[in-house]
Formats: sequence, structure tokens, C-alpha cells
Amino acid sequence: MSRKKDKNSTKSESPQIAPASKSAVAAKPAADQAPAPAAPPKKSPAPSAAAPEKKPIDWIAILKNWQVALVIILVAASIVAINPHFENGEFTTNLQFGLDLQTGTWLQMEFQSEVVAFQTDLTTAQFITNLQKNLDAEIYLVGDNRLEIRQLVPEDQLRQIFTESGGTLTSYEVGVSRETAEQVKTILENKLNGLGTKNANVNPLIGFDGVAHYIRVELAGVSLAEAKDIVGKQGKFEIRIHTTGNETEHVLYGDTITSVGIPSQEPPGSNSWGVSFTLSDQGADQFRQAAIQYGAVTNPDSHRLDMLLDDVVVYSAPLSPDLATKLQTEPIRQLFASTGSGDAGLQSAKNLEIHLRAGALPVDVVVAGAGYTPANFSDYYKLMVVIAGMLALVAVGLVIFYRYREPTIVLPMIATNIAEIIILLGFATFIQQLDLAAIAGLIAVLGTGIDQLVVITDEILHEGKVPSPTLYQKRLTRALGIIMISAATVVIAMLPLALLDLSSLRGFAIITILGVLIGVLITRPAYGKIIMGILSR
Amino acid sequence: MLSNIYDMGFISYDVNRYSPKQMVIIPLILLILALASLGYMMATTGMPVKPGLDFSGGTAVTLFTTDTDTQMEEVFAGYPLISITGGINNGKYLKFGPMSDDQLQSLAVLINENYPDAKIDQIGATFGQALQQQAILALIFSFIGMSLVVFIAFRTFVPAAAVVLSAFADIVMTAAAMNLVGIDLSLPTTAALLMLIGYSVDSDILLTMRTLKRQGKLEDKLAGAFRTGIIMTTTTLAAIVAMWVVAYFGQIIVIWEIATVLIIGLVIDMMNTWLTNAGIIKWYLLRRGER
Repeated sequence: MSRKKDKNSTKSESPQIAPASKSAVAAKPAADQAPAPAAPPKKSPAPSAAAPEKKPIDWIAILKNWQVALVIILVAASIVAINPHFENGEFTTNLQFGLDLQTGTWLQMEFQSEVVAFQTDLTTAQFITNLQKNLDAEIYLVGDNRLEIRQLVPEDQLRQIFTESGGTLTSYEVGVSRETAEQVKTILENKLNGLGTKNANVNPLIGFDGVAHYIRVELAGVSLAEAKDIVGKQGKFEIRIHTTGNETEHVLYGDTITSVGIPSQEPPGSNSWGVSFTLSDQGADQFRQAAIQYGAVTNPDSHRLDMLLDDVVVYSAPLSPDLATKLQTEPIRQLFASTGSGDAGLQSAKNLEIHLRAGALPVDVVVAGAGYTPANFSDYYKLMVVIAGMLALVAVGLVIFYRYREPTIVLPMIATNIAEIIILLGFATFIQQLDLAAIAGLIAVLGTGIDQLVVITDEILHEGKVPSPTLYQKRLTRALGIIMISAATVVIAMLPLALLDLSSLRGFAIITILGVLIGVLITRPAYGKIIMGILSR
Repeated sequence: MLSNIYDMGFISYDVNRYSPKQMVIIPLILLILALASLGYMMATTGMPVKPGLDFSGGTAVTLFTTDTDTQMEEVFAGYPLISITGGINNGKYLKFGPMSDDQLQSLAVLINENYPDAKIDQIGATFGQALQQQAILALIFSFIGMSLVVFIAFRTFVPAAAVVLSAFADIVMTAAAMNLVGIDLSLPTTAALLMLIGYSVDSDILLTMRTLKRQGKLEDKLAGAFRTGIIMTTTTLAAIVAMWVVAYFGQIIVIWEIATVLIIGLVIDMMNTWLTNAGIIKWYLLRRGER
């Protein structure tokens, strides 16, 4: 294709190709001077081109269209949501930025664990018992016949072990169940909050089948080396015993706890919750000696035991009469900390389990990917993105103006586009962080947005001006038909990205889908009404 | 009504001058060449497009420094440094091969000491592979989804197939062009290819709707669609070129890559829409007896 730019020929012929704008172009010199008859409806003012000899554009009538009014309300609401303001002399907004537009570190970690499905002729309990004998790993039943095995065992090896245990492996996926993923999230969050990290984001990436393969940690204002330290670090767990009054004495540290169970009911089915844990021989000795030395075995209620994580009491209870009696004769390794009944008891049990693990994750993780953006980059990127956006708008405006030569068409078009972006950003403050990929999505929306406004405009201008509003309405409906199909294809094309856990492209897809929906449902129909109102004067 | 089809002002191409065969022949040859080059890449490297760091695994470091490449090579001796690419404004982009966790940790410390303002991104090799698989899946699903919508919307085989074919040609030719220009397939460029599916069908759908579902002379309908379609693509191009300029001078590699792929893709899309798709539609309507 060859390019030929010949302004003169275009200019002289443009009335021929676009009869609708012909008269308007002729009336332009006067139009530019004419004051607007009513307040323009948009932030970006659309100066009226109402020439004295023509009927003025009836802005009131245009505003009375609910589509147009809705856009204005949404733009206003979005600006409130974005809340641009100055804080300590710095310009800030409510927009959440992803880690390439904000200083900080991201770590994506892979669970060293797998979720598998099985079939067996034995009872499930019997099968798990067999499996436990053949496999030295923590095994939990999740769902009807799915197991979470908290150790990375290759599929072939696991298949063989399953066969030896009297069952068959029917599916294998590296990762953890949703519940475990949520637990890891809570542990990491507790840890990060405890360390005073300002802005921590922990998100397990959970697939369609409820298996989480990765967990992503985002830490604002923390360097990569620091972040790895924090995530890997364990808390200090201690058990202390009350001596006299509020005085306490050390009993044991978390390193003598050899395993921690998941919350369970004791006795089973009683709805009375707690967590079991096991002490090493040394820990059990220390526990017994302290209980005897301070008199807890004879008078449990005045010698409560405190559990502390990083010197904060997280659990406190007396020995049960039963345990007190047993401890007099022998050390006990298996202990059960009851937390109460009902949902509250279950919740406390879950928290206690996390504390007993002292911030250690129930599943091993390895770092799969990581990144760090320093402050100078994030500020610089933000600036560049704003410049790019502005330039893109100007470029689009120039091309549109070159084509239509009619401010009353070009300005509403640009204003609609800006409104679309503002509404999109407004929505985004609630649901999506903006990173560079999401910005790319924003630009994609800007591009398709202007495309579709061109479709609407050309469709309505098609075959020139007509006095009949019904005919305009028919044309607008036809244009919206074309737009709907385009929008449907874009949404469908982006859906896989929004659903797959390619974390960094998810933002891109969500912003694009959201933008297209806002466009076809809200702003583009409104633009149609505006342009109809302007043309039917 | 419309009297002069050269009025687009940008491009003097008469969509009505050529026969369907003439229209389709050039893109067809290019499509075959593109497929052949992708096939060759696939046979020699296992991937149709060279995977970037996101997919092959490794570490990327972006920094601004006045140090020379040799100086930096000395600093990072002992680490698997693959390449240093420089741009304007002293921006440097360093690529490292896969490393162990410990080695990465010490690299992070080293970078922090020497270049405290460097941006670091690290992707593990297996994670990269998982990302690559998902990206390819996303591309395939997107394409299938798009095809379904197009077929449901038009319910006639030839026009729908023409839209799908020209979108396919867009992706294939752009991918081949990426190999030529030396842009790797990464997360951002995958996003760009997906965006291209959206942009591509935009003008194709317009063309099909205008020619298929409307009364009037075929010549006029084609010319009208062309006028609107070209303006659509040019405005999008204008926005993307603006983005490209800023990204190039501002050294924002992610956006620069996306913009480059989109510019190539949009130019290719103009060809595929107004030669491939328009050619097929014209042939289809002429055969159906329209004039």
C-alpha cells in the first residue's frame, strides 16, 4: 500500500464524501466565535458550534437522555473514587499500583506439595492408613477422594506407592488445596504484619479445580534480599507457666514441638474444637518438670500455661485435671489445646495452629520468580505512562479531526474516550491493581474505544443528514450491533487470560474486559445519543 | 453520495479496482512464507517464536549507569551474564541465565551494593515453562473463542471463515515479523498478540456487516466500509505510535515491545482486512450474484 498525503485535494473533496458535515464546515468560522448556549456536559468542554443562523444544539435535551446522564454521574463518582488530592505536598490518588509502578518486591512461590485423586476398593480410612505406612509425608483428605500430600513426590513414584497401598492414582497436580493455600496466606500475612511491613499483599493463585500451585507475595517498599529474608524467617514460640500472681517462668521453646495437627473436635463430633501437638522427649520432660516444680499438677487452675509467639500471649489455659494427674506419673508427648465450641472455637483453633507452627508454613515453598522495582523506576514509569497516555489522546484527536474537520464531532468523541478511561479507572480502584500490563490494557481500551466511536459516527453520518430522529435511532442501533459483536469477540478473546493464573497478564485482561463492557454498555450508547442530538439540530 | 474513493486522505488504494484473485494473492504468498519461517523456527528451536526471559527463565536487570559494558561484565563476573543491551539515556538491560536461589540472593545483594536503583526480575526455569504453556493455551483459547463468536454472529460460513482466516494471518505474520525484528515472545508480547486478535476482528466485522447485511451496490458498500475501517486503524495506530515514541525515548521496554508488536500487527491487519478479507467477501458476494 502506498501512502499519499495530499492535504489540499482532501480538503477540497471532503464535502463530497461527508455531506453531513458539509454545511457545518461552511458555517465554522462563525461557529468558533459563538458562545456555548448551555454548560457543556463534560469535563472536557465541547464548545458549541451553533452558528447564529442555525438552531443551537439543545444540550438540555441531550442531557435528558438517561445514557448521557448516567455517564456524567459515573464520571463524577469515579473521580470521587479515584480521589486525586495533595497529601504532604505530593499528588496522590486512591489508585492501587502494581509493583512495576510502585517501589517494592514481588515473590512468586511454588508449593512443594501435590493434590491427587485416588480410587480404591478399601475404605478411605484404611487406604490412607496403608498409604501413610508407605509414604513418609503428611497426608490430608480434601474432598471426597482427593488427598493433599505435603511433600513433593514425582508422579511415577507416587503412582507406584498408591498401587502398593491398594488403590490407584487417578489425577496428579502439584499444589495445595484451597484451605491450605488460605492458611499459608494467613501465616504469611501475620508474619508480614508483625514485622511492620506497610503494604503486604499475599495471593494464592488458585486454578479452576481449587488447587493452588503458586502463592504470590507483594511487599511495597522492601528490597528483594530483605523480602526473601522475611518470608523465610520463623517466629519465636514459647510456653511459659504462671508461678505466683502474674509472674511466669519459661517452660519450653517451639523447637521442641515436633508436629502440629489440624483443628479437630475432641471428642469427635462434640463440636468442641482444639489443636493437637506433639512434643519431643526432651520437651515432654521439660513440660512435666515445670508442671511439677510450680505445682500445676496439684493445683492446675492457679498455674495456667501461656503460649507466646514473639513474646505476645496467643493462648492461655490451665492443665486439664486428667492431664494434671497423668503428668504426676510420666511425661506426656501428645497434647491437645482446646479452644472452645462452635465456629468461634474452630476459628481460634485455626489461629492457634498457625501460632504453634511459629510462622513456619505447613508446606515447603520454593521461589519460582521474583522482582524488585526501585523508587526511581516506579516514579519514572508513572510519569512516562501519563505522558504516553496524553500523547496518545492528542494523536487520536489529530487523526479524528483530520478526518471529520468538525469540532462538534471530534470533541464529544475525545470527551467520551476520556470519560471511558475515567470510569474504568474509577472501577479499577476497587478491583484491580494497575501495573504496566494493566496500563497496556487501558491503552487497548482507548484504541478500540475510538475505533467504535468512529463506527457509530460514520454509521449515523452515512447517507447524509436526515431530519428524522427515528432514522438516526435506526442507524445508531445498527452501529451498536456492529460494536456488540466486536466487543463480544474481545471479551471472549481475553477471558482465558483473566481466568488462567498468569498473574501479570490477568490485570491486562481484566482491565480490557472491564473497559470494553463499560464502553459498549455505558459510554458508547451515550455518545450515540450526543452525536444524534448534535446532528439533529 | 460517495464519488471519490481516494478521499481517505491517507492511503490511495481503491478497494474496488482489483479482482478477488488479485487481492488475495499477495497476502496468501506472505502467509505461506510466514508459516514456513515459523515452521522452520519450530523445527530448529522447538518454538515458533524465540521465547524471552519470561518463558525461558532467567534474571533481567534494568538500570541506569554510566559504567561501560566491560566494567559491568567485571562486576558480574561469576554470574551467568548472557547479554547487555544498551539504549539511550544510559539505560542498560542485563540478562542472566538461570541461577540457584542462593546465587540469586547474592546477586541481589551485589546489585544493591553497586546499583541500588536497579530493577530486578527473576523467573525460575520451571515457572517460565508453566507460564509459556499457559500463554500458548491462552492464545489458542482466545482464538477459538473469537472464532466461535464470529461464526455465531454471521452464521454463514464463507464470511465468518474470512474473518477468522484474516485474524489467523495477522497473528502468524506478526509472529514471523517478531522473529525478523528480534522481539522475543514474552508475557507482554503475548498480550500484544492477544490485543491484535481484538483489533483485527474489529475492522473485519465492520467490513462484513457493512457488505453482507446492507442494501446497496457492492462497490459503494466496500468503499464505505474501507473509509471507516481505515480511519479506525489509523487512529489506533496513532495512539500506539505515540506510546511507542514515549516508550522508546523513555526506555520502558515492556511498553516498547507491546507497541512494536502492535504497530507491525496493525499494518499487517490493514493488508489482511482490505486484501484478504475484502477479497474473499467480494468473491463470495459476486458469486452470489451481487453487483
